[in-house]
Amino acid sequence: MKLQVNGVMHEVEASPTARLLDVLRGPLGLTGTKEGCGEGECGSCTILLDGLPVNACLVLAGQAEGAEILTVEGLAAGQLAPLQQCFVDDGGAQCGICTPGMLIAAEALLRRNKAPDDAEIREAIAGNICRCTGYQRIVDAIKHAAVVRAGGAS
Amino acid sequence: MSALGESFFRPRDLGEACARVADLVTRGVPHHVIAGGTDLVVESHLRPPSTVAPPATTLVDVSRVPELVEFAVRGDTIRLGGGVTFLTVRRAPALAPLRVLVEAGKDVGAIQIQARGTLAGNVVTASPAGDGVAALMALEAVVGLRSVRGERAVPLRDYYQGYKKTVRAADELVAWLDVRVPAADAFQSWRKVGTRLAQAISKVALAAVVERDGETIRRARFGMASVAPTTSPLAHVERFLEGRAARGLDLAGLDAAVDADVSPIDDVRSTAEYRRHVARALVREVARGLAPK
Ligand SMILES: Cc1cc2nc3c(=O)[nH]c(=O)nc-3n(C[C@H](O)[C@H](O)[C@H](O)COP(=O)(O)OP(=O)(O)OC[C@H]3O[C@@H](n4cnc5c(N)ncnc54)[C@H](O)[C@@H]3O)c2cc1C
Ligand code: FES
Ligand code: FES
Repeated sequence: MKLQVNGVMHEVEASPTARLLDVLRGPLGLTGTKEGCGEGECGSCTILLDGLPVNACLVLAGQAEGAEILTVEGLAAGQLAPLQQCFVDDGGAQCGICTPGMLIAAEALLRRNKAPDDAEIREAIAGNICRCTGYQRIVDAIKHAAVVRAGGAS
Repeated sequence: MSALGESFFRPRDLGEACARVADLVTRGVPHHVIAGGTDLVVESHLRPPSTVAPPATTLVDVSRVPELVEFAVRGDTIRLGGGVTFLTVRRAPALAPLRVLVEAGKDVGAIQIQARGTLAGNVVTASPAGDGVAALMALEAVVGLRSVRGERAVPLRDYYQGYKKTVRAADELVAWLDVRVPAADAFQSWRKVGTRLAQAISKVALAAVVERDGETIRRARFGMASVAPTTSPLAHVERFLEGRAARGLDLAGLDAAVDADVSPIDDVRSTAEYRRHVARALVREVARGLAPK
């Protein structure tokens, strides 16, 4: 099976009916994507599939053949992406379990909406559960990242 | 073909999908059609024991069948492919007139679920709490069932026959859903009550599309979730409202019509009495919306 992940085409030996989450974390060694609930409720397995945020625990690997997959590992190019840096700086990550999924959900939002308001951010991350931060710091980090991405002061 | 190839099919078009399903049905091979997987993967333990082992059940993936993911506007009818996702409904400008479905789409899980979850999946799952189904009923959806034997059209309100019982045959795919585009000035509303934040109560939902001639209600269509064994229309309420003036409605009569339409149950999430109460309140809210002060 061939999967395009973070811009690279991979030849993987896996059943097309395995969950994409398991193939990413197993044979592909991309363990940034986390498993929380395995039922589409927590968002910790969020990846982009052809640019759309989806739960990798509900997608079968065979369904992702021919699509572009982006995982949290694909955000940073050499150094942390501004979005990631803002999560670090603004306390958007505490235990870190939700963080990869949050980052991807935020990335999906910021690609479509360069200057989201609080309500738009909260809607975009409504499928991502965080037990640590109380969400406001995450919202702040995403807002901050929007400013940095627009070329504003960090 | 390899063992794995025998257990996962990705038909290129709708004809091939129908042929594949027909063949599996005829040979008695256990199988599932899979679209977004947001019901199927959660419900059935499809996943093989390891990432390389073949699964017990054969899957036919229709998530990329071109005819299913498209939609077409045809005058006052819109044909939605069965594979249209809730996110597509929310984002496609051509579908904006289907306000009740757009609003329902925003309430289906979160964005990750909306990006994968399809209209056909919502219809076929036949949950008593199908939000898409409720909105589609208010839009007078007709279900296009396709198999190698041909195609037939069934009004969505006749599609369910009881809890998880539908008219769909094993070899039939939901190819499309035709919906009626409401008049531009139609009243359309979507309300879902009982969120994750209040886990003690269930999510009763009401979709309404009402058209008026001046003060008079010309046409009223509803779909309601979580108040009966299937998501259902409100036939008594519709008959009660049509032809009446929107102002000064007999609310006791309206409540009685609601009672005739719903058959809520007690379960772990809520009581029948509470659900009946919410159903009446939601319908009254629509009535108030029709005759604003
Ligand atoms: C976290 C979470 C939250 C959810 N929230 C909601 C909610 O708020 N409201 C709501 O209504 N639902 C909700 N759902 C349920 C689900 O997302 C929807 O029912 C969705 O529409 C299912 O579509 P799917 O494409 O993912 O279906 P799948 O899981 O792919 O399939 C579901 C069923 O439909 C069949 N099927 C799919 N496509 C076809 C076709 N074209 N022809 C014939 N059969 C077909 C499959 O064989 C299967 O039996 C939620 C699910 C999750 C996991
Ligand atoms: S692990 Fe996928 S949503 Fe929780
Ligand atoms: S940082 Fe711990 S769950 Fe979000």
